[in-house]
Amino acid sequence: MQDQKTDVLVIGGGPAGSMTAKWAATQGARVLMIEKRQEIGSPVRCGEGMSKEWLQDVGIRAGRWINLEVEGARIYSPREKVFEINEKHAGNEVGYVVERDEFDKQLAIDAANAGAEVKLKTAAVAILKEQGRVVGAKVKEFGQSYEIRAPITVGADGFESQVGRWAGLPTNIATRDMDTCLQYRMTNVDSDVRYCDFYLGKCAPGGYVWIFPKAEGVANVGIGVQVSQVKNPADARTYLDRWIEHHPGYAKGKKIDMVGGGVSIAPPLKQTVTDGFMIVGDAARMIDPLTGGGIANGCIAGKICGTVAAAAVHAGDPSKEFLQKYEKGWRARLEEKLYRNWLAKEKLVTLSDETFDKVIDALDGVRLEKLSVHNILKAVRDKYPEVTKEFEAFL
Amino acid sequence: MPNKKSLHIESSGQLCIYCGACVGICPLNCIYLDETRITFDEQVCTRCEICVKGCPVGAIEIG
Repeated sequence: MQDQKTDVLVIGGGPAGSMTAKWAATQGARVLMIEKRQEIGSPVRCGEGMSKEWLQDVGIRAGRWINLEVEGARIYSPREKVFEINEKHAGNEVGYVVERDEFDKQLAIDAANAGAEVKLKTAAVAILKEQGRVVGAKVKEFGQSYEIRAPITVGADGFESQVGRWAGLPTNIATRDMDTCLQYRMTNVDSDVRYCDFYLGKCAPGGYVWIFPKAEGVANVGIGVQVSQVKNPADARTYLDRWIEHHPGYAKGKKIDMVGGGVSIAPPLKQTVTDGFMIVGDAARMIDPLTGGGIANGCIAGKICGTVAAAAVHAGDPSKEFLQKYEKGWRARLEEKLYRNWLAKEKLVTLSDETFDKVIDALDGVRLEKLSVHNILKAVRDKYPEVTKEFEAFL
Repeated sequence: MPNKKSLHIESSGQLCIYCGACVGICPLNCIYLDETRITFDEQVCTRCEICVKGCPVGAIEIG
Protein backbone atom coordinates (compact mmCIF):
# COMPACT_ATOMS: atom_id res chain seq x y z
CA MET A 1 0.00 0.00 0.00
CA GLN A 2 1.30 3.46 -0.88
CA ASP A 3 2.05 5.99 1.81
CA GLN A 4 -0.51 8.77 2.11
CA LYS A 5 -0.63 12.43 3.02
CA THR A 6 -3.38 14.47 4.59
CA ASP A 7 -3.73 17.64 6.67
CA VAL A 8 -5.35 16.12 9.75
CA LEU A 9 -5.13 12.46 10.75
CA VAL A 10 -7.71 11.44 13.36
CA ILE A 11 -7.06 8.10 15.08
CA GLY A 12 -10.30 6.57 16.32
CA GLY A 13 -13.86 6.83 14.99
CA GLY A 14 -15.81 7.30 18.23
CA PRO A 15 -17.75 10.48 19.06
CA ALA A 16 -14.67 12.60 19.90
CA GLY A 17 -12.88 11.47 16.73
CA SER A 18 -15.88 12.06 14.46
CA MET A 19 -16.52 15.50 15.95
CA THR A 20 -12.88 16.45 15.47
CA ALA A 21 -12.97 15.17 11.88
CA LYS A 22 -16.24 16.95 11.10
CA TRP A 23 -15.17 20.34 12.43
CA ALA A 24 -11.70 20.21 10.85
CA ALA A 25 -13.24 19.26 7.48
CA THR A 26 -15.97 21.89 7.76
CA GLN A 27 -13.25 24.47 8.09
CA GLY A 28 -11.46 23.41 4.97
CA ALA A 29 -8.80 20.94 6.12
CA ARG A 30 -8.23 17.61 4.37
CA VAL A 31 -9.11 15.04 7.01
CA LEU A 32 -8.56 11.31 7.27
CA MET A 33 -10.18 9.44 10.17
CA ILE A 34 -9.10 5.85 10.78
CA GLU A 35 -11.04 3.24 12.78
CA LYS A 36 -9.52 -0.10 13.69
CA ARG A 37 -12.82 -1.97 13.67
CA GLN A 38 -14.90 -2.89 10.64
CA GLU A 39 -17.90 -1.02 11.98
CA ILE A 40 -18.20 2.42 13.58
CA GLY A 41 -19.99 2.24 16.93
CA SER A 42 -19.81 -1.50 17.40
CA PRO A 43 -19.44 -3.32 19.70
CA VAL A 44 -21.16 -0.93 22.11
CA ARG A 45 -19.23 -0.44 25.34
CA CYS A 46 -21.41 2.10 27.11
CA GLY A 47 -24.24 2.46 29.62
CA GLU A 48 -26.05 4.57 27.01
CA GLY A 49 -27.32 7.31 29.31
CA MET A 50 -26.44 10.92 28.52
CA SER A 51 -27.44 14.52 29.16
CA LYS A 52 -28.80 16.57 26.31
CA GLU A 53 -28.28 20.28 26.97
CA TRP A 54 -24.98 20.38 25.05
CA LEU A 55 -26.04 18.73 21.79
CA GLN A 56 -27.18 21.82 19.91
CA ASP A 57 -24.01 23.75 20.73
CA VAL A 58 -21.84 21.23 18.92
CA GLY A 59 -24.20 20.69 15.98
CA ILE A 60 -25.56 17.20 16.70
CA ARG A 61 -29.04 16.64 15.32
CA ALA A 62 -31.75 14.49 16.85
CA GLY A 63 -32.05 11.16 15.08
CA ARG A 64 -32.91 7.54 15.54
CA TRP A 65 -29.99 7.27 17.97
CA ILE A 66 -32.37 8.63 20.62
CA ASN A 67 -33.73 5.53 22.28
CA LEU A 68 -35.97 7.31 24.76
CA GLU A 69 -36.15 10.51 26.75
CA VAL A 70 -36.35 10.16 30.52
CA GLU A 71 -38.11 12.55 32.88
CA GLY A 72 -35.56 12.34 35.63
CA ALA A 73 -33.06 10.39 37.68
CA ARG A 74 -33.58 8.62 41.00
CA ILE A 75 -30.71 8.23 43.40
CA TYR A 76 -31.04 5.40 45.93
CA SER A 77 -29.14 5.30 49.21
CA PRO A 78 -28.01 1.95 50.68
CA ARG A 79 -31.24 1.66 52.67
CA GLU A 80 -33.02 2.68 49.51
CA LYS A 81 -34.20 6.09 50.43
CA VAL A 82 -34.75 7.92 47.17
CA PHE A 83 -33.83 11.33 45.90
CA GLU A 84 -35.50 12.24 42.66
CA ILE A 85 -33.88 14.66 40.25
CA ASN A 86 -36.27 15.90 37.63
CA GLU A 87 -36.08 18.26 34.73
CA LYS A 88 -37.39 21.17 36.82
CA HIS A 89 -34.32 21.50 39.00
CA ALA A 90 -31.76 19.78 36.87
CA GLY A 91 -32.56 21.76 33.72
CA ASN A 92 -31.54 19.74 30.71
CA GLU A 93 -28.99 17.72 32.67
CA VAL A 94 -31.30 14.73 32.61
CA GLY A 95 -31.67 13.46 29.16
CA TYR A 96 -31.63 10.55 26.83
CA VAL A 97 -31.03 6.88 26.80
CA VAL A 98 -29.38 6.31 23.45
CA GLU A 99 -28.61 3.64 20.88
CA ARG A 100 -24.91 4.22 21.12
CA ASP A 101 -23.99 2.44 17.88
CA GLU A 102 -26.48 4.59 15.95
CA PHE A 103 -25.15 7.72 17.68
CA ASP A 104 -21.56 6.97 16.68
CA LYS A 105 -22.64 6.19 13.12
CA GLN A 106 -24.55 9.44 12.78
CA LEU A 107 -21.51 11.41 13.95
CA ALA A 108 -19.30 9.54 11.45
CA ILE A 109 -21.83 10.30 8.69
CA ASP A 110 -21.71 13.98 9.68
CA ALA A 111 -17.91 13.88 9.49
CA ALA A 112 -17.97 12.17 6.08
CA ASN A 113 -20.60 14.59 4.76
CA ALA A 114 -18.40 17.47 5.87
CA GLY A 115 -15.68 16.06 3.63
CA ALA A 116 -13.62 13.80 5.91
CA GLU A 117 -12.33 10.49 4.53
CA VAL A 118 -13.01 7.47 6.73
CA LYS A 119 -10.98 4.27 6.67
CA LEU A 120 -12.29 1.18 8.44
CA LYS A 121 -10.26 -1.83 9.59
CA THR A 122 -7.29 0.53 9.84
CA ALA A 123 -5.31 0.57 13.09
CA ALA A 124 -2.49 2.88 14.11
CA VAL A 125 0.50 0.76 15.11
CA ALA A 126 3.04 3.52 15.77
CA ILE A 127 3.38 7.30 15.81
CA LEU A 128 5.79 8.85 13.30
CA LYS A 129 8.12 11.46 14.76
CA GLU A 130 10.68 13.74 13.16
CA GLN A 131 12.88 15.99 15.32
CA GLY A 132 10.55 15.43 18.25
CA ARG A 133 7.48 16.46 16.26
CA VAL A 134 4.59 14.08 15.53
CA VAL A 135 4.19 13.86 11.75
CA GLY A 136 1.59 11.12 11.35
CA ALA A 137 1.23 7.43 12.07
CA LYS A 138 2.19 4.05 10.77
CA VAL A 139 -1.03 2.15 10.16
CA LYS A 140 -2.24 -1.27 9.16
CA GLU A 141 -5.23 -1.42 6.82
CA PHE A 142 -6.55 -4.94 6.28
CA GLY A 143 -3.16 -6.22 7.37
CA GLN A 144 -1.21 -3.98 4.97
CA SER A 145 1.26 -1.58 6.57
CA TYR A 146 1.88 1.93 5.32
CA GLU A 147 2.40 5.47 6.60
CA ILE A 148 -0.03 8.35 6.78
CA ARG A 149 1.75 11.68 7.07
CA ALA A 150 -0.02 14.74 8.41
CA PRO A 151 1.05 18.00 10.05
CA ILE A 152 -1.67 17.41 12.67
CA THR A 153 -2.39 14.03 14.27
CA VAL A 154 -5.24 13.60 16.76
CA GLY A 155 -5.47 10.75 19.28
CA ALA A 156 -9.14 9.87 19.80
CA ASP A 157 -8.57 6.21 20.61
CA GLY A 158 -10.61 5.96 23.77
CA PHE A 159 -9.98 4.94 27.34
CA GLU A 160 -7.32 2.40 26.42
CA SER A 161 -5.42 5.00 24.38
CA GLN A 162 -2.07 3.90 23.07
CA VAL A 163 -1.30 6.79 20.75
CA GLY A 164 -1.14 9.33 23.58
CA ARG A 165 1.66 7.36 25.17
CA TRP A 166 3.38 6.87 21.84
CA ALA A 167 3.24 10.62 21.23
CA GLY A 168 4.94 11.17 24.58
CA LEU A 169 2.04 12.34 26.76
CA PRO A 170 1.85 10.77 30.24
CA THR A 171 -1.50 8.97 30.10
CA ASN A 172 -0.85 6.33 32.77
CA ILE A 173 -3.66 5.83 35.23
CA ALA A 174 -3.62 4.67 38.87
CA THR A 175 -5.97 1.99 40.18
CA ARG A 176 -7.75 4.55 42.34
CA ASP A 177 -8.45 6.63 39.25
CA MET A 178 -10.31 3.94 37.34
CA ASP A 179 -13.56 2.04 37.69
CA THR A 180 -13.92 -1.44 36.25
CA CYS A 181 -17.39 -1.78 34.75
CA LEU A 182 -19.78 -4.52 33.72
CA GLN A 183 -23.29 -4.23 32.38
CA TYR A 184 -26.06 -6.59 31.35
CA ARG A 185 -28.90 -5.79 29.02
CA MET A 186 -31.79 -7.37 30.86
CA THR A 187 -35.34 -8.09 29.84
CA ASN A 188 -38.44 -8.84 31.93
CA VAL A 189 -37.29 -6.40 34.65
CA ASP A 190 -39.22 -3.78 36.67
CA SER A 191 -37.33 -0.74 35.37
CA ASP A 192 -39.29 2.47 34.78
CA VAL A 193 -38.97 4.11 31.36
CA ARG A 194 -39.38 7.53 33.00
CA TYR A 195 -36.21 7.29 35.08
CA CYS A 196 -32.54 6.49 35.08
CA ASP A 197 -31.77 4.96 38.48
CA PHE A 198 -28.54 5.08 40.47
CA TYR A 199 -27.74 2.99 43.57
CA LEU A 200 -24.97 4.25 45.83
CA GLY A 201 -22.96 2.76 48.68
CA LYS A 202 -21.17 -0.47 49.42
CA CYS A 203 -23.17 -2.30 46.74
CA ALA A 204 -20.61 -0.73 44.37
CA PRO A 205 -17.47 0.45 46.22
CA GLY A 206 -16.13 3.62 44.62
CA GLY A 207 -18.81 3.57 41.94
CA TYR A 208 -22.52 2.89 41.57
CA VAL A 209 -25.10 0.55 40.10
CA TRP A 210 -27.09 2.04 37.22
CA ILE A 211 -30.38 1.15 35.60
CA PHE A 212 -30.94 2.85 32.26
CA PRO A 213 -34.27 1.88 30.67
CA LYS A 214 -34.21 0.83 27.01
CA ALA A 215 -37.90 -0.02 26.61
CA GLU A 216 -40.81 -1.21 28.75
CA GLY A 217 -39.32 -4.06 30.84
CA VAL A 218 -35.88 -3.79 29.22
CA ALA A 219 -32.89 -1.99 30.78
CA ASN A 220 -29.13 -1.68 30.89
CA VAL A 221 -28.18 -2.84 34.40
CA GLY A 222 -24.56 -2.04 35.14
CA ILE A 223 -21.94 -1.40 37.77
CA GLY A 224 -18.67 0.46 38.19
CA VAL A 225 -16.24 -0.48 40.98
CA GLN A 226 -13.12 1.52 41.82
CA VAL A 227 -10.17 -0.72 40.90
CA SER A 228 -8.28 0.16 44.12
CA GLN A 229 -11.24 -1.23 46.09
CA VAL A 230 -11.31 -4.54 44.20
CA LYS A 231 -10.50 -7.37 46.62
CA ASN A 232 -10.87 -10.37 44.35
CA PRO A 233 -10.74 -10.98 40.61
CA ALA A 234 -14.13 -10.44 38.95
CA ASP A 235 -15.43 -8.27 41.80
CA ALA A 236 -17.36 -6.12 39.31
CA ARG A 237 -19.32 -9.17 38.21
CA THR A 238 -19.68 -10.49 41.76
CA TYR A 239 -21.06 -7.16 43.06
CA LEU A 240 -23.42 -6.76 40.10
CA ASP A 241 -24.75 -10.30 40.38
CA ARG A 242 -25.25 -9.80 44.13
CA TRP A 243 -27.15 -6.56 43.56
CA ILE A 244 -29.42 -8.23 41.03
CA GLU A 245 -29.99 -11.20 43.35
CA HIS A 246 -31.12 -8.81 46.13
CA HIS A 247 -33.59 -6.96 43.92
CA PRO A 248 -36.55 -9.17 43.00
CA GLY A 249 -37.64 -6.81 40.21
CA TYR A 250 -34.33 -7.62 38.50
CA ALA A 251 -33.58 -11.10 39.82
CA LYS A 252 -36.54 -12.39 37.79
CA GLY A 253 -35.09 -10.83 34.63
CA LYS A 254 -33.08 -12.45 31.89
CA LYS A 255 -29.74 -11.29 30.54
CA ILE A 256 -29.50 -10.87 26.81
CA ASP A 257 -26.24 -8.98 26.40
CA MET A 258 -23.09 -8.17 28.36
CA VAL A 259 -20.52 -5.42 28.01
CA GLY A 260 -17.52 -4.41 30.08
CA GLY A 261 -14.81 -1.82 30.14
CA GLY A 262 -12.78 0.70 32.04
CA VAL A 263 -13.77 4.25 32.93
CA SER A 264 -11.38 6.88 34.25
CA ILE A 265 -12.44 8.80 37.36
CA ALA A 266 -9.29 10.93 37.34
CA PRO A 267 -8.79 14.63 36.85
CA PRO A 268 -8.06 15.37 33.16
CA LEU A 269 -4.57 15.08 31.68
CA LYS A 270 -2.23 17.93 32.58
CA GLN A 271 -1.11 18.20 28.97
CA THR A 272 -3.16 17.36 25.87
CA VAL A 273 -0.98 18.77 23.08
CA THR A 274 2.54 18.36 21.84
CA ASP A 275 4.16 19.36 18.56
CA GLY A 276 1.88 18.14 15.77
CA PHE A 277 -0.41 16.23 18.14
CA MET A 278 -3.60 16.63 20.17
CA ILE A 279 -5.48 14.12 22.31
CA VAL A 280 -9.24 14.24 22.86
CA GLY A 281 -12.15 12.50 24.59
CA ASP A 282 -11.82 9.46 26.86
CA ALA A 283 -8.18 9.16 25.73
CA ALA A 284 -7.54 12.57 27.34
CA ARG A 285 -9.36 11.51 30.55
CA MET A 286 -12.19 13.94 29.82
CA ILE A 287 -14.69 11.49 31.32
CA ASP A 288 -16.71 13.12 34.11
CA PRO A 289 -15.13 11.60 37.25
CA LEU A 290 -18.43 11.73 39.16
CA THR A 291 -20.81 10.22 36.60
CA GLY A 292 -18.44 8.29 34.36
CA GLY A 293 -20.02 9.94 31.33
CA GLY A 294 -17.62 10.68 28.49
CA ILE A 295 -19.72 11.42 25.40
CA ALA A 296 -20.66 15.07 26.00
CA ASN A 297 -17.18 16.18 27.00
CA GLY A 298 -15.61 14.23 24.14
CA CYS A 299 -17.91 15.89 21.62
CA ILE A 300 -17.49 19.40 23.06
CA ALA A 301 -13.70 19.05 23.10
CA GLY A 302 -13.82 17.40 19.65
CA LYS A 303 -15.40 20.49 18.12
CA ILE A 304 -12.67 22.68 19.63
CA CYS A 305 -9.97 20.21 18.57
CA GLY A 306 -11.19 20.07 14.95
CA THR A 307 -11.47 23.84 14.74
CA VAL A 308 -7.93 24.35 16.06
CA ALA A 309 -6.60 21.57 13.79
CA ALA A 310 -7.96 23.36 10.71
CA ALA A 311 -6.62 26.70 11.92
CA ALA A 312 -3.16 25.17 12.45
CA VAL A 313 -3.22 23.75 8.93
CA HIS A 314 -4.23 27.08 7.41
CA ALA A 315 -1.58 28.89 9.45
CA GLY A 316 1.04 26.31 8.47
CA ASP A 317 1.91 26.05 12.16
CA PRO A 318 1.43 22.69 13.92
CA SER A 319 3.65 23.66 16.86
CA LYS A 320 2.52 22.96 20.38
CA GLU A 321 2.50 26.72 20.96
CA PHE A 322 -0.19 27.09 18.28
CA LEU A 323 -2.09 24.05 19.55
CA GLN A 324 -2.37 25.73 22.96
CA LYS A 325 -5.54 27.23 21.50
CA TYR A 326 -7.07 23.77 21.89
CA GLU A 327 -5.54 23.19 25.31
CA LYS A 328 -6.89 26.52 26.57
CA GLY A 329 -10.20 26.22 24.71
CA TRP A 330 -11.33 22.89 26.09
CA ARG A 331 -10.10 23.70 29.59
CA ALA A 332 -12.07 26.98 29.60
CA ARG A 333 -15.17 25.04 28.61
CA LEU A 334 -14.85 21.87 30.71
CA GLU A 335 -12.12 21.92 33.29
CA GLU A 336 -13.83 23.68 36.18
CA LYS A 337 -16.69 21.19 36.25
CA LEU A 338 -14.34 18.24 35.78
CA TYR A 339 -12.31 19.31 38.84
CA ARG A 340 -15.39 20.11 40.90
CA ASN A 341 -16.89 16.71 40.15
CA TRP A 342 -13.54 15.03 40.76
CA LEU A 343 -13.40 16.60 44.24
CA ALA A 344 -16.99 15.53 44.94
CA LYS A 345 -16.19 11.99 43.81
CA GLU A 346 -13.05 11.88 45.97
CA LYS A 347 -15.32 12.62 48.94
CA LEU A 348 -18.13 10.29 47.93
CA VAL A 349 -15.90 7.22 47.62
CA THR A 350 -14.99 7.60 51.31
CA LEU A 351 -18.56 7.82 52.65
CA SER A 352 -20.10 5.12 54.80
CA ASP A 353 -23.47 3.63 53.91
CA GLU A 354 -24.86 5.40 56.98
CA THR A 355 -23.76 8.79 55.70
CA PHE A 356 -25.20 8.08 52.24
CA ASP A 357 -28.52 7.25 53.91
CA LYS A 358 -28.51 10.52 55.84
CA VAL A 359 -27.64 12.59 52.80
CA ILE A 360 -30.38 11.10 50.66
CA ASP A 361 -32.87 11.16 53.55
CA ALA A 362 -32.19 14.87 54.10
CA LEU A 363 -33.07 15.54 50.47
CA ASP A 364 -36.32 13.59 50.63
CA GLY A 365 -39.18 16.02 50.19
CA VAL A 366 -36.89 19.03 49.90
CA ARG A 367 -37.61 21.24 46.94
CA LEU A 368 -34.34 22.33 45.46
CA GLU A 369 -34.52 25.32 43.18
CA LYS A 370 -31.43 24.29 41.34
CA LEU A 371 -29.45 21.09 41.66
CA SER A 372 -25.94 21.85 42.81
CA VAL A 373 -23.50 20.36 45.28
CA HIS A 374 -23.88 23.56 47.31
CA ASN A 375 -27.69 23.36 47.48
CA ILE A 376 -27.61 19.66 48.31
CA LEU A 377 -25.23 20.25 51.19
CA LYS A 378 -27.32 23.11 52.54
CA ALA A 379 -30.32 20.79 52.68
CA VAL A 380 -28.24 18.14 54.43
CA ARG A 381 -26.96 20.68 56.96
CA ASP A 382 -30.50 21.59 57.96
CA LYS A 383 -31.34 18.03 58.91
CA TYR A 384 -28.05 16.36 59.80
CA PRO A 385 -25.57 19.14 60.72
CA GLU A 386 -23.01 16.58 61.87
CA VAL A 387 -22.82 15.06 58.40
CA THR A 388 -21.88 18.32 56.69
CA LYS A 389 -18.73 18.54 58.84
CA GLU A 390 -17.22 16.15 56.33
CA PHE A 391 -18.09 18.53 53.50
CA GLU A 392 -17.05 21.92 54.85
CA ALA A 393 -14.80 22.45 51.86
CA PHE A 394 -17.77 22.39 49.50
CA LEU A 395 -19.99 24.83 51.38
CA MET B 1 17.48 -13.91 37.35
CA PRO B 2 14.47 -15.27 39.19
CA ASN B 3 11.80 -16.92 37.10
CA LYS B 4 8.86 -14.70 36.39
CA LYS B 5 5.45 -15.96 37.37
CA SER B 6 3.56 -17.46 34.51
CA LEU B 7 0.97 -15.30 32.89
CA HIS B 8 -2.31 -16.47 31.52
CA ILE B 9 -5.17 -14.56 30.05
CA GLU B 10 -8.22 -16.61 29.43
CA SER B 11 -9.07 -15.52 25.94
CA SER B 12 -10.73 -18.54 24.47
CA GLY B 13 -14.06 -16.80 24.91
CA GLN B 14 -15.00 -18.59 28.11
CA LEU B 15 -14.19 -15.66 30.40
CA CYS B 16 -12.65 -12.76 28.45
CA ILE B 17 -15.22 -10.31 27.04
CA TYR B 18 -12.58 -8.30 25.10
CA CYS B 19 -13.56 -5.03 26.78
CA GLY B 20 -10.04 -3.57 26.94
CA ALA B 21 -10.12 -2.55 30.61
CA CYS B 22 -6.77 -4.31 31.14
CA VAL B 23 -5.24 -2.49 28.17
CA GLY B 24 -6.20 0.88 29.60
CA ILE B 25 -4.87 0.24 33.08
CA CYS B 26 -1.58 -1.54 32.30
CA PRO B 27 1.12 0.85 33.52
CA LEU B 28 3.65 -0.57 31.06
CA ASN B 29 1.46 -0.57 27.98
CA CYS B 30 2.17 -4.25 27.38
CA ILE B 31 -1.32 -5.63 26.78
CA TYR B 32 -2.82 -5.59 23.29
CA LEU B 33 -6.43 -6.05 22.27
CA ASP B 34 -6.98 -7.02 18.65
CA GLU B 35 -10.68 -7.65 18.06
CA THR B 36 -11.15 -10.97 19.85
CA ARG B 37 -7.58 -11.65 20.87
CA ILE B 38 -5.68 -10.32 23.88
CA THR B 39 -1.92 -10.66 24.04
CA PHE B 40 0.75 -9.69 26.56
CA ASP B 41 4.31 -8.65 25.87
CA GLU B 42 5.87 -11.19 28.22
CA GLN B 43 9.23 -9.44 28.11
CA VAL B 44 7.85 -6.13 29.34
CA CYS B 45 5.26 -7.38 31.84
CA THR B 46 6.44 -7.21 35.48
CA ARG B 47 3.50 -9.22 36.86
CA CYS B 48 2.26 -6.23 38.86
CA GLU B 49 -1.24 -7.75 38.72
CA ILE B 50 -3.00 -4.42 38.23
CA CYS B 51 -4.75 -5.88 35.19
CA VAL B 52 -6.05 -8.74 37.33
CA LYS B 53 -7.89 -6.16 39.47
CA GLY B 54 -9.01 -4.09 36.50
CA CYS B 55 -10.64 -7.03 34.71
CA PRO B 56 -14.40 -6.91 35.44
CA VAL B 57 -14.89 -10.63 34.90
CA GLY B 58 -11.74 -12.19 36.38
CA ALA B 59 -10.29 -13.46 33.12
CA ILE B 60 -6.64 -12.83 33.95
CA GLU B 61 -4.61 -15.21 36.05
CA ILE B 62 -1.05 -14.78 37.21
CA GLY B 63 0.45 -17.55 39.25
